[in-house]
Amino acid sequence: MEEFIGEVWHKYISAKVATGFPEAALELTHYQSQLSTYFHCLGGDPGKVVEAAEARVLHNHRPLLQRIAGSHRRATLCWQDQRSLRLPPVIDYLPEKTLNETLYFWLAALAAKLPKMSHWFQDNQLATLAILKTHPGLKSCYEKLAKAVVAQRPLIEHLPQKLQSRELAIQQAILNPGSVKSLPLASGEPLFVPLWLYPAPLFDVTNIQAQDDEEQASPSNNSKTETLDTPRKTAQRFDDEKQTDGLLVFKLEALFSWAEQVDMDRSQQEDLDQDLQGAADDLDVITLSRKRKAGSAKVKFDMDLPAPFTDDLYLGPGIKLPEWNYKKRVMLKDFCFLQPMLNHEAVPEKLPNNLKKEANGLKRQFNLLRPLSALQRRQPFGDEIDLDAWLDIKTQPNATLDGENLYLAKKQSERDMSTLVLADLSMSTDSGVTTQQRVVDVIRDSLLLFSEALSACDDPFALYGFSSIKNKQIRFQLLKNFSEIYSDATRGRILAIEPGFYTRMGAAIRQSVSVLKLQKSRQKLLLIISDGKPNDIDHYEGRYGIEDTRQAILEAKRQGIQPFCITIDSQANDYLPFLFGDQGFALVRDIEQLPKLLPKLYLNLTQSI
Amino acid sequence: MSQINNRQAIHYQAQDRECEIFNAAANNKLPVLLKGPTGCGKTRFVEYMAQQLKRPLFTVACHDDLSATDLVGRHLIGANGTHWQDGPLTRAVREGGICYLDEVVEARKDTTVVIHPLTDHRRLLPIDRTGELVEAHPDFMLVVSYNPGYQNLIKGLKPSTRQRFIALEFDYPQAKLEASIICQETGLDTQRAEQLVLLGEEIRRLKDHDLEEGASTRLLIYAAKLMQLSLSTTEACMAALAQPLSDDRDTIKAIERLVNAHF
Repeated sequence: MEEFIGEVWHKYISAKVATGFPEAALELTHYQSQLSTYFHCLGGDPGKVVEAAEARVLHNHRPLLQRIAGSHRRATLCWQDQRSLRLPPVIDYLPEKTLNETLYFWLAALAAKLPKMSHWFQDNQLATLAILKTHPGLKSCYEKLAKAVVAQRPLIEHLPQKLQSRELAIQQAILNPGSVKSLPLASGEPLFVPLWLYPAPLFDVTNIQAQDDEEQASPSNNSKTETLDTPRKTAQRFDDEKQTDGLLVFKLEALFSWAEQVDMDRSQQEDLDQDLQGAADDLDVITLSRKRKAGSAKVKFDMDLPAPFTDDLYLGPGIKLPEWNYKKRVMLKDFCFLQPMLNHEAVPEKLPNNLKKEANGLKRQFNLLRPLSALQRRQPFGDEIDLDAWLDIKTQPNATLDGENLYLAKKQSERDMSTLVLADLSMSTDSGVTTQQRVVDVIRDSLLLFSEALSACDDPFALYGFSSIKNKQIRFQLLKNFSEIYSDATRGRILAIEPGFYTRMGAAIRQSVSVLKLQKSRQKLLLIISDGKPNDIDHYEGRYGIEDTRQAILEAKRQGIQPFCITIDSQANDYLPFLFGDQGFALVRDIEQLPKLLPKLYLNLTQSI
Repeated sequence: MSQINNRQAIHYQAQDRECEIFNAAANNKLPVLLKGPTGCGKTRFVEYMAQQLKRPLFTVACHDDLSATDLVGRHLIGANGTHWQDGPLTRAVREGGICYLDEVVEARKDTTVVIHPLTDHRRLLPIDRTGELVEAHPDFMLVVSYNPGYQNLIKGLKPSTRQRFIALEFDYPQAKLEASIICQETGLDTQRAEQLVLLGEEIRRLKDHDLEEGASTRLLIYAAKLMQLSLSTTEACMAALAQPLSDDRDTIKAIERLVNAHF
């Protein structure tokens, strides 16, 4: 009963204080790509993407009812950092859809003009003025927006007296940007202004000011500090470098805990996912560790397989494959068990924005490799008569038509090659290249760019990833097979790759060969991307692993497949020539170059074969 | 291929010292390579210089099936048997004039065979079909152009070919100059021309991301021309700037927003 009443009360009070116009709501997802184009046009950093912002806490004045309802504590502010421009996921502040739409584009335009903010109140006004000056067409839009936004703000006389002058200044600044120089001091934060940008939450705004002498000297500084100080919560960097080597760092005081006893039916509270989500939502400050490089690559865990219901979809009953034992010099028949699998839950996705530029360039280049329907001259037979050749003969008095090549024929594609890319998805790819990127991220980007390039020139290709846990399961991840068309679904699967377990390379190569063998093209390329030696936690390491891999590669060569290995292991020179031969591998020293190198390497390979 | 003789005066506004360099090259019998994006004024520049130098201009738009025969000439059969017909390059070599090979990288590889001996000190054109060896007229000049934006691994200009030319780089003109070019070409008022140039610059920022190439000066001039007709500014800009540049709906919509922000 209590629960029921509580629910009714919650509904009633929430509805009572609700602001916004759900019927005029617009979602960012519909506009995302338009907005990002618009933002870049107007001078926004081309590397920045447009993303949805999270709600942030604002310590502003709330009327009694809102306080009772516990609402309006947060607002989705618009802000940007090095990575992206964050816009509200939904805009419903204004009563009309067109106004809300204009607001989205207005925020993008303002963000393009205001890459760095030091004064929330002044900078927003100045940037507004600057845009209106260069883009006179926006003037009428802005006027409409400003009026609508001010109409949504509380009447000045309804506010407590001490807040009145500040609110008045803000409203004036919205209506006549540039007209108000300083923001009067008042307690709390000013009410949320949907038309303006806010500083990034990770940034300590006072620090920016300290670096900027001019800002320090400006007379309106005091009031600025007051306004800018507040929204810098939400996340802090916490330096754990000295204190601990632990894997997990948290501040105990940041965790909620319930001390009193509550009668609760626990069986209904078992939904862990939801709880975790709620916990993250409840935390206004999430402390992140600066240490990114996990020590996982060095530690040798004997991991269990993932539980079947969380694991990827198994394709078929699995395949038994042999393995080479160099000590006994025998092929162990059916020793390995390889399981093809598919990540069926991966969501189809578009190409990430940061790869677009590179991908477009590659596509254009590879497009030219597409077999052209150009005519070849002077052919013994063909679809049309080569008039040039005919004239040549006619103009030479002694020539006869016998045995001359007088036809134009459609050029056949000179390239007839299928490629299978086998990516190492072992645990070691979890290690960091930089603080932002892991090896697996680089592999993922490489696979994406490579696929974009190859899909442009119509060469058939397939993508697989592998990792293993002893010989009992070699996980052979299907990312794209030869018959599938490269699509958003494929991209989604590539984007979802994660580091797995160990590197039993021999079995993975054998399986790839049997896939590649079925291709009808004249040339077959097996491209292996790896970050280290073959190894597993059983006896499959050191010489054993290398010998087995070598056997698998020799088998591949015998079947007319050209194996090629791209590695980022700096010690690879010790063993790769033995495995692939002198010309059969490439060592990429600067791994960040790999995504760009891979398609070019492919070009070189296809020309040299 | 076309030949332009002195009709009316051609307008060209220099971006830099390119006219002087071109003149010097012409006086010293040096071949010239022009590079720059689409629609930035390469062809106009050559036409203008040909008029200034009072030399006939032979323009050849190269395509991927253009062979040396098309440049040099071929035998034709007429009423009185066969006769030899000079190609545009041979005509320029014999009569004196500027031979302009537009987008030279598109042409077939065998064209380099005729270009090479013409572009060094020999200045000779061997015509193997007739067995002739034509020495170039003192007024003969070879000008080629290409667009580095299209440059790629497969179709680049070979270093051995590039090394034979004086090279001039072209880009879209500075904002002020571009606005004055638009006024000059179309008679649009300065204020709208300047706004149009600003718009063009913003669209050019999308190059390599959403667009393969930015809005060229030529497109801006088209837009300005349409704007003076009965079309609305938005219609003119959409037809001349947004639609030719992209097929992507979102990009076009974003450009439409941008146009509305300017006018």
